Amino acid sequence: MRANFIFSEVWIGLRRNLTMTIAVIVTVAIGMALLGVGLMINSQISTMKDFWSDKVEISVFLCKKNDPFPQCKGSGGVNEPERAALRAQIEAMPQVQKVDFEDAATAYANYREQFKNDTVMLSVVQPGDMPESFRVKLKDPDSYAAVIEALKGAPGVSNVVNQKEILEKFFGLLEKLRWAALVVAIILVFAATLLIGNTVRLSAYNRRRETGIMRLVGASNLYIQLPFVMEGVIAGLIGGVVAAVLLIVSKVFLFDGVQLYLANNSPLTWETVASVISLTMIFGVLICVLASFVTLRRYLRV
Amino acid sequence: MIHFDNVTKVYANQNRPALDHVSVDVDKGEFVFLVGPSGSGKSTFLRLVLKEERPDSGAIHVAGKDLARLSNFKIPHLRRRIGCVFQDFRLLPNKNVYENVAFALEVIGKPRRFIRKVVPEVVELVGLEGKAHRMPDELSGGEQQRVAMARAFVNRPMILLADEPTGNIDPATSIGIMKVLDRINRTGTTVVMATHDAAIVDSMRKRVVELEDGKIVRDQSRGVYGQAY
Repeated sequence: MRANFIFSEVWIGLRRNLTMTIAVIVTVAIGMALLGVGLMINSQISTMKDFWSDKVEISVFLCKKNDPFPQCKGSGGVNEPERAALRAQIEAMPQVQKVDFEDAATAYANYREQFKNDTVMLSVVQPGDMPESFRVKLKDPDSYAAVIEALKGAPGVSNVVNQKEILEKFFGLLEKLRWAALVVAIILVFAATLLIGNTVRLSAYNRRRETGIMRLVGASNLYIQLPFVMEGVIAGLIGGVVAAVLLIVSKVFLFDGVQLYLANNSPLTWETVASVISLTMIFGVLICVLASFVTLRRYLRV
Repeated sequence: MIHFDNVTKVYANQNRPALDHVSVDVDKGEFVFLVGPSGSGKSTFLRLVLKEERPDSGAIHVAGKDLARLSNFKIPHLRRRIGCVFQDFRLLPNKNVYENVAFALEVIGKPRRFIRKVVPEVVELVGLEGKAHRMPDELSGGEQQRVAMARAFVNRPMILLADEPTGNIDPATSIGIMKVLDRINRTGTTVVMATHDAAIVDSMRKRVVELEDGKIVRDQSRGVYGQAY
């Protein structure tokens, strides 16, 4: 096997079909990038779920003075006996693991910490706007219904917020994004397969004289087919490299950017990105090899 | 060397067989003319020897191998022992004489040192010394056919198949082509040549196998072309 012969054939083939080669590279790049984004969203969801699952709490907000919530109307804010009664009521519930009281000052400090990168959010909220609350941690985050039911409308309670519900809305959005990325990726992978098939077919047609002679003088199938398959593989590899760049860019600007808005962020690690990149690259090259072989079987009778 | 035993070949969508129960033996070192009108099965015969087609019935042995038992994987090895020349030369227009001949060795993975040694020898054998760096379009038809013969012979095949090699060449030049084929035959290579050219067959006085409608109607050593078509 003479490598330089194969590579000069591959180079000639790629240059002759330059426009098709570019089309293949672009489709493979975008298809693989979207596939990668889908995988990255997937792992983002699971790291975030891991991160949040032992932190989700039920926040039982207490009435302030002049609170607009209907339950608080005219109460003039929660008072000490109500607070103590609530605490006792919550602690008596079998589902509850732990209760913490958060006063207005702590709430404001947490808020400042959470939105430290957002000057607008910081400027509109004053310490006096922050309500006091009980932070209720459940033994099982899924058994929230009875707890919320019991606490809603209890004297001194303005509102009960289940963080799990908020997170689930967010995860739902992420999951929709993931499916969208994967569906578009599948369509593009399909298009890439057809394009590669077409490119190889054109290439085989361009070189039918050479391949005819190669067949006649007894060149092995591998020797005849390898240049064509290598063309597909190289186009796929270049597409994969472009996809890798796109994925790194999306990790830095998209995924890390979104994390800035979330408290206690749980960013994607570079290891995840690296494994996603190698996975998409292997997948891209595999598709190219398969498409080339299937096409050659049809258009290059050996 | 080539052994056909009751071989029949029918192409798809055709009622009449291209070869009809053909049995023939070609020995090592023989020179055989395959004659007959167009469509009589000459090309089919050659394609069957190369295993480009498969017979519908009958057995074919080439160079001691039963082609029916030869796996697809081994077909290239069979073809390395068979050289081929065609009416339309089939040279690569973007390669010069030397490169065209060397191509046949490159693609079967021969080392460069070997190629540099044998290609000039074969170019000389076919009478193209001094023209190794010409491009095909700078050569006459006869010279192009010599290049094709050099390419067919460079790997020292046991069999040389020639499908109307003088079909595109004027009679005077054809004599030169036949001399090269004769020279190749004298090295011990079996030559099978399909042709329409009565003058050449008559002048060479070699074995003649005549086909008509896929059947062998004459097999004669030191024969002539027969009645004019």
